[in-house]
Amino acid sequence: MNLPTNDFRRTWVMTPEEFHKGLDGVLHAAVGWYRRRSLVLRKIMHDACRISSASEDLRGISNRDLSKQVREMRALFRRNKKDCRQMVPGALAILVEAAHRTLGLRPFTVQIAGALSLHRGYLAEMATGEGKSLTACLPAILAAWTGRPCHILTVNDYLTKRDAVEMKPLYTFCGVSAGCVAATMDPDERRLNYDKGVVYTTSKELVADFLRDRLIMGSLHDPTRRLIRHMLFKDRNNNEGLVMRGLDTAIVDEADSVLIDEAVTPLIISQARENKLFTQVYGTAGRIAKKMAPGIDYTADLKYKEIILKKNALIRIEAEAKKLPGIWRNPARSEELIKQALAAREFYRRDEQYVIQDGHIVIVDEFTGRLMPDRTWRQGFHQAVEAKENLELSNPSETMARRSFQQFFRLFRHLSGMTGTGREAAGEFWRIYGLSVVKIPTNRPCIRKQFPDRVFGSVDQKWTAVMDEIVRIHRTGRPILVGTRNVFASEKLAKMLHAEKLEFNLLNAVHHEEEAGIVRVAGEEGRITISTNMAGRGTDIKLHGKVAEIGGLHVIATERHESGRIDRQLFGRSARQGDPGSAQAFISMEDELIRRFVPKVFQKQLKTVMEKKIPGTAFFAGRALSHAQRAAQHLAFTQRKSVLRMDTWLEEALSFSGPNNL
Amino acid sequence: MGKPGSTFSESWHRIADLKVSLRPTVKGRRQVFRGELWHVLSDSFNNTFFRLRPEAWDFISRLRPDRTVEAVWEEALQRNPDMAPGQEDVLQLLTQLYYANLLYFKNPADSAMLFERYRKRRQREIKSKLLGIMFMRFPLFDPDRILKKNLFLIKLIFGIPGAFVWLAVVAAAVKCAVEQFDMVTRQAEGILSPDNLFLLYVAMVIVKTLHELGHAMACRRFGGEVHVMGVMLLIFTPLPYMDATSSWSFRNRWQRALVGGAGMITEIFLAGLATFVWANTGAGTLHSLAYNVMFIASVSTLIFNGNPLLRFDGYYILSDLLDIPNLSTRAIQHLRHIAEKYLLGYRESTSPAQSSRESFWLAVFGILSGIYRVIVFCGIILFVADKFLLAGMLMALLCIFAWGVVPVFRLIQYLASSPRLAKTRLRAVSVCIFISGMIFFFMALFPMPNRFRAPGLLEAVQYVRVVNHAPGYVKTMLVRSGTLVEKGTALIEMTDRELDIEIERANAQKKEARALQMRAMSRAVEDLKPIKKRFETITARLADLARQKQELIVRARQAGVWVAPPASELERKWLPKGFVLGEIVGSRNFRFSSVVSQDDAADLFVDRIHTAQVRLYGQEGCDIAVENFEIVPYQHDKLPSAALGWLGGGEVAVSMSDDTGLKTSEPFFLIFADVKPNPDVLFFHGRSGKIRFSMDNEPLVVQWGRSIRQLLQKRYHI
Repeated sequence: MNLPTNDFRRTWVMTPEEFHKGLDGVLHAAVGWYRRRSLVLRKIMHDACRISSASEDLRGISNRDLSKQVREMRALFRRNKKDCRQMVPGALAILVEAAHRTLGLRPFTVQIAGALSLHRGYLAEMATGEGKSLTACLPAILAAWTGRPCHILTVNDYLTKRDAVEMKPLYTFCGVSAGCVAATMDPDERRLNYDKGVVYTTSKELVADFLRDRLIMGSLHDPTRRLIRHMLFKDRNNNEGLVMRGLDTAIVDEADSVLIDEAVTPLIISQARENKLFTQVYGTAGRIAKKMAPGIDYTADLKYKEIILKKNALIRIEAEAKKLPGIWRNPARSEELIKQALAAREFYRRDEQYVIQDGHIVIVDEFTGRLMPDRTWRQGFHQAVEAKENLELSNPSETMARRSFQQFFRLFRHLSGMTGTGREAAGEFWRIYGLSVVKIPTNRPCIRKQFPDRVFGSVDQKWTAVMDEIVRIHRTGRPILVGTRNVFASEKLAKMLHAEKLEFNLLNAVHHEEEAGIVRVAGEEGRITISTNMAGRGTDIKLHGKVAEIGGLHVIATERHESGRIDRQLFGRSARQGDPGSAQAFISMEDELIRRFVPKVFQKQLKTVMEKKIPGTAFFAGRALSHAQRAAQHLAFTQRKSVLRMDTWLEEALSFSGPNNL
Repeated sequence: MGKPGSTFSESWHRIADLKVSLRPTVKGRRQVFRGELWHVLSDSFNNTFFRLRPEAWDFISRLRPDRTVEAVWEEALQRNPDMAPGQEDVLQLLTQLYYANLLYFKNPADSAMLFERYRKRRQREIKSKLLGIMFMRFPLFDPDRILKKNLFLIKLIFGIPGAFVWLAVVAAAVKCAVEQFDMVTRQAEGILSPDNLFLLYVAMVIVKTLHELGHAMACRRFGGEVHVMGVMLLIFTPLPYMDATSSWSFRNRWQRALVGGAGMITEIFLAGLATFVWANTGAGTLHSLAYNVMFIASVSTLIFNGNPLLRFDGYYILSDLLDIPNLSTRAIQHLRHIAEKYLLGYRESTSPAQSSRESFWLAVFGILSGIYRVIVFCGIILFVADKFLLAGMLMALLCIFAWGVVPVFRLIQYLASSPRLAKTRLRAVSVCIFISGMIFFFMALFPMPNRFRAPGLLEAVQYVRVVNHAPGYVKTMLVRSGTLVEKGTALIEMTDRELDIEIERANAQKKEARALQMRAMSRAVEDLKPIKKRFETITARLADLARQKQELIVRARQAGVWVAPPASELERKWLPKGFVLGEIVGSRNFRFSSVVSQDDAADLFVDRIHTAQVRLYGQEGCDIAVENFEIVPYQHDKLPSAALGWLGGGEVAVSMSDDTGLKTSEPFFLIFADVKPNPDVLFFHGRSGKIRFSMDNEPLVVQWGRSIRQLLQKRYHI
């Protein structure tokens, strides 16, 4: 049955509050500080303890009685009574018991506290391995009971599927349907899953579906308009092709990754359209660019990923352009094209940013290390990379819809999130999304041994040391997880291990079919697992047998990431939920992070000092590293800021073009 | 628009399917600015203007309500691939036109956003009204119809006949004013006196009304429309204003400049008429009013309205003549660009200037107006501080805040966080630190010459006052003042009849005594002795009188120049004994006695002065070396000569209650400096000049700090 209200809600979104500027901004920040005060946590913990003890009283009751209570609660929430809030503790207590009976997991008090803070719209900071998946279930069920759409967002498809399946018994017991939406699904499958009470999906899919729906609706996205139309033409189906039920509640797992790291670039829906003129132009640009040499014709700014053309290159381009069609005759345009082609060559490497499958470029997601088929870079750039790899040029894609993540997440009526690492971005969470961070204590103290970083002058030295370390630890029988930054590095390490005749599992964008299987056995004795960022957030490696007794999982990071948070996520794969474990990072002065963000002068100094093994170098290297990470974070922050500013400006400047439904 | 934006834009989809065009009321026409072709869009409906490059115009003019932007863009790309604007340019262009309200669009707009924009604009208007409370405007009526009706007359006035009349009147008035120049200047002193203020204001209203009318007429003369005339509250003083912005669309820049100058032209004509009235009336209200009109319409107009460095008519005329609109903002942008590009290393910085000539003018204007503003504000602050100490201090604080603290703060903020500097921040920061370090080093550490000057006058070292030793009437002046005299030369002859009588009587007594002596010798020898005594007494007395008589002729006691008041002043005057008749001045050795104010005296006593030089008025080119100088270590309050004080035309403040002009209002120190003879300079006793003391070199900061402290102490007794 298609109720008018349902249809209304399908496209209704909250009008986000304006950003606070000047003194308002200062005041708003002050409010944020107030909301983060420790009293909030104490209250939540107090409530959580009471819920926990209340749930103990339910241990004795029969399954039938429990499910009866669930039904009653659900009916109350569905009616959305005013005293709903007072019922939340009771409802949570019932859910705790239900989780225990259906999943065999009884949420700890800290998990209950996490659930409470999610329900209250906070960003819960919970240490890695504290069981965030289960935590998210409880408020999701409460939200689903109200009949409004509830989305749980994670960082990758593997996690969406895993969580949706693992938590299914609980959802079913509570009378809530759960589904997940992954990149590979077609619209019908998507629609089916979006119709579920709780939907697990990734932020990219959600934004993309949201934009696609809006593209279909066109100007009819205005709920009032739709409603009127719906009443006028009862027989006409206005919802053809739409997949989503609307936006209301979102629980964002790994909020720092979704809301901060990935928000650097806005999401774009595009459509390939044949354009012979431009396809040719990109090919020509690629040809001209191939004749240019770094240092002579241009310099590449690693940090900003920019190409600076030198004078003789400009002269050459001009000379070439004379022989080419008219579009080349505008010097600024021809420069732009060449720069693009050069940037594709200098900054985008095979098996790092992309892989080639069946003659096509497939982008590798920077944060999750996963393949993103059907995704292309912006117009022209994708073609430039194709031209560089001598592939057949695809049709240029035209942007059809664009929205930044920052803007999108402000459209939710009720937004909350969880993360293992959120405190350092607390200011941004509050300013952009109105989320205040609550740090939930750990259930059991973490006993991970974090060894100090080992620093080397060159990459080769580093890899040899990594190999030695793998061999050394492998002898003790402990399982090892080696994190690499990209596909290329993982393959390289795989080859080296192969040469040493060591057995290992390789998990990267290209070898991702057996992901679940690899993760399942990664905690076995003597296992070596190489992984890109794929085994980062959310991957739960369970220790097998006696592994805990011999020291648990050891994590080796072969490179530092631009954000310390991602590093810590990788380290967090070990020593979960009170298990033993250890972690260490291996760094060289030739790593990309150092090359991009440490001034060239210092790079050289550091390298020579490293080679001479002067005491105290480790300290300086550490400094350089933290500086590089800070610089990278700062750059990302300014990029996010400019994305947001650009969006806000566009919104106002283009108001004559109709509301931004896209 | 500067350099073209990129060919593709990620936001293109927002406008690709739009059907937009210019509003039907918008007219475009070609206009050449600085030798470059532009298209000026003007909407006669709401008097908005917008200028476009030909490429942009080419695109915009093809927009029609029945075609999508995408279609037009693709067509442009096909027709003119090398010059067609990129998607980003189109996006920018359309938004700018939209902001200028020149765009017509068919599809439903984002009404919420439109309202939001309207609300923001209203807010801005109210805010600017509040901020502009010092310049509040009240539009009153639309003069366009009246002007149109009298267009014939206007054409006559702003035409060749008008120009001739104008020239004739102004020339005659200048002649008239020059002839009575002393009267003109004398009356100018009282222009700001309280009893004249009302008349001044009346004159101002008359003058400014005609001034505005002049603008309006000139604008109408060349076809511009003038729709608003009203009253503006300039610092709560109602004054007329009118709106001649439509002249901005004139193609001919001389026409634009003439509209800008029309106000001043009118005023000067008015000043000419007022001069005749003033010259031909006796003292009275009309006379004073005419004078006030004269003053405002000429002097103040030229100083304020004509000054291109202030943002009045002169500024707009200059901007029209140079063909650089928004001169002042763009000058600032240009200076900023120069600094960013060459100092801070921001390579992508683009200058607002379109040609090298334009950039030259922008740079010159920017620097001059910056300096000028500082000077004007310092002047105003000092002036206000003189009248109201507290207000002056507050203003100074505000200025220091606005021009010192805020810019420094902004600079730091800019250096720290501007995205423009992202790539060259290190360089930018080091350049700034280096420059400020250099300035600091230069001012605080680098010793600079440190001098001060004091007024004084030349005195002969040897000079004697000539006094009469005997009282008497002056008979004649024997030697004219200014003549070189030998020692013993008779200078003045005096007479004293009583002395003559006395001498006669003494002579008679002498005779009597002699006769008595003779008789006693023959008759009574015993009487001889007393008689002899008496004789001697009389002789002595006679000798004394003779000497007195001698002294009635005043002689030079030494060789030198006889300096005395004019003979007519002394002759036939009775003078008591010891009256100073004049001086005999030695012509060889001179010294310079100077008056040093208390502020500078501190330097004198700490013995830091190492050299001093004297320059005499009239011969400023010749330095006279000083051999040594001597400070009279106590304070004086009587000048060595009235010539140094205000009453005598000098610069030392003297007490007004003292007629002699010698008593100073503040005590001072006297310094005697021995000057070396200089063949080029004639030394005359009493010749005035200045002495310059050079002290140890000292950094500027130290010097300035002392001066400011002294200024504060002296002016405000703090």
